Amino acid sequence: MSKLTILGRGIYAIWLREIMRSFRDRGQLIGGVSRPIIWLLILGIGLNPYFRGEIYGEVRFVIPFTYLQFLFPAVIVLNIMYTSILFAVSMIWDREFGFLREVLVSPLPKWAILFGKILGGSTVATMHGFLVLILARFADVTLGWDQVAWALVLMFLLSFGLTSFGVILAARVRSFEGFGVFSNTIILPLYFLSSSVFPLDPSLTRTQTAATYPEWLAMLVQINPITYAVDALRGALIGFNQFDPWIGPSIIGAGAVLFFFIALVDFKRQ
Amino acid sequence: MVAENKGIEPGGGIVLDGISHAYSGRKALDNVSLTVPRGESMALLGPNGAGKSTLLNILCGLIRPDAGRAIVAGVDVSKHSSEARQNIGVVFQDDSLDDRLSAWENLEFHGLVYGMDKPSRARRIDEVLALVELSEWAENPVRTFSGGMKRRLEIARALMHEPRILILDEPTVGLDAQTRAKIWSYLNQQRRERDLSVFVTTHYIEEAESCEAICVIDHGKVQVQGPPADLKARYGTSLIRCLPRSPEVRQKLLEKYPEAQRLSGDRLGIVVRDQAMIDAFLSEFGSSLKEILIDEPSLETVFLAITGREMRERDEVNSKARGKRNKRI
Repeated sequence: MSKLTILGRGIYAIWLREIMRSFRDRGQLIGGVSRPIIWLLILGIGLNPYFRGEIYGEVRFVIPFTYLQFLFPAVIVLNIMYTSILFAVSMIWDREFGFLREVLVSPLPKWAILFGKILGGSTVATMHGFLVLILARFADVTLGWDQVAWALVLMFLLSFGLTSFGVILAARVRSFEGFGVFSNTIILPLYFLSSSVFPLDPSLTRTQTAATYPEWLAMLVQINPITYAVDALRGALIGFNQFDPWIGPSIIGAGAVLFFFIALVDFKRQ
Repeated sequence: MVAENKGIEPGGGIVLDGISHAYSGRKALDNVSLTVPRGESMALLGPNGAGKSTLLNILCGLIRPDAGRAIVAGVDVSKHSSEARQNIGVVFQDDSLDDRLSAWENLEFHGLVYGMDKPSRARRIDEVLALVELSEWAENPVRTFSGGMKRRLEIARALMHEPRILILDEPTVGLDAQTRAKIWSYLNQQRRERDLSVFVTTHYIEEAESCEAICVIDHGKVQVQGPPADLKARYGTSLIRCLPRSPEVRQKLLEKYPEAQRLSGDRLGIVVRDQAMIDAFLSEFGSSLKEILIDEPSLETVFLAITGREMRERDEVNSKARGKRNKRI
């Protein structure tokens, strides 16, 4: 029996447990379905008519898309953020209820344990992102298979990075209650400051930006990494980028690698 | 890689050689050496905070000792932790099952994590579930199990990958006498059939008594080590345990027997030197006591003599279990 087979089985087991958990946890599943419906179908459709500017008396969309189309990729990111960062609860659960010890005394090396766990969490988060993708028709977004495939790659890498980020938080938070408060004060600000619900690019909405957005807001949006994740998905799904098209995917990829290694250092130390 | 071990046959049991470990400067273990030969069992006794958990964590490879070697089934735990862990089955003091998964799923997970292939997983799951008499419960979520069933499942799980060493941390704590007896019957059966070495911590005298060897540690050091009968012969004393009727009587008792140990619940423990001493004690204090027990030399008195503490706070279950060995007056 080769070492690689044993390693593979172990990682598979840890991954599979996360997947099974997610299907049995009704609350998580309901959140995953209801969140995009609220954001996309209610907020998106409700604000759709207002996403227009008047230039020389001519009514047109400020960017060449409807608000629903503009919002659609951002809601995918939102769904992934919730599922990924809340994955930390699973880490805390394992630690508090002793299951972690069962895995730690197994022959699996620590990196494989953590990798399996994060892989499981990011698979679930990608699935929750995919739930939004199914609603594409309602958002007037038409997709080709190549677009879906590229979006899934980006979504998975984003999930991997954010799940690792959740694990890093979990290592620093001792209780479930503490984490509940913590996560909401992180997820929503990051989301709202990611150019998800309003566009920022001055070249497209020069008058509007100058008139509407103060300097501090524009700056916060520009330093928020989620901004670039949203931008990458917009590029993949509706072909609209506020920044250079390569920036988003690079930041997503770098985040996945960086956060995994920080999480690994934490995990090895504990 | 075992050749250098003093006379321990390859693939043997547990060898700890000069293990020392400190937590941020505070010494938890100080030069601990012990040997459990293949197929034998050892009970590790010690008061809370004596270093038992640290020792177990070192054996499972969860902690790397500052000094010394831990060799398990012929493999050095800190050098080849993966191989060593493959040979160890662990039952923790606290639950470590995923209670949202079924019994079968918990075992399947364990099998996969230990790298077992599909046919051997299926075979061993059936075998260990039959061993602990949980076959009909395989599909039920662990959430619905009683404390005793969970323990049995944990033991099944620890045995599933056919380890050669079994490490048990208080495996029967909080269970009723019947369930405890059942768990030990599974364990002893496996020990005989598979030549398992067993290393167990326990607070139950009768469980320690049934092991081939006993090791008492306190303040991070091995105090004594040897077969229960030897220890009893060497350190065992009869002990009068009594509960004085009033503080005045207590005061008088302490004046008469200054060496008396203060036990839990205001009781006093007085070491018996000979029968005449018992007679003298009874004629003087016999009528001013609420309660008196005279312990025969037992592991408990050995423990008390060595550590100055009782093995556990007295409680209902324990005094019942000990009834057989005590002469009640």
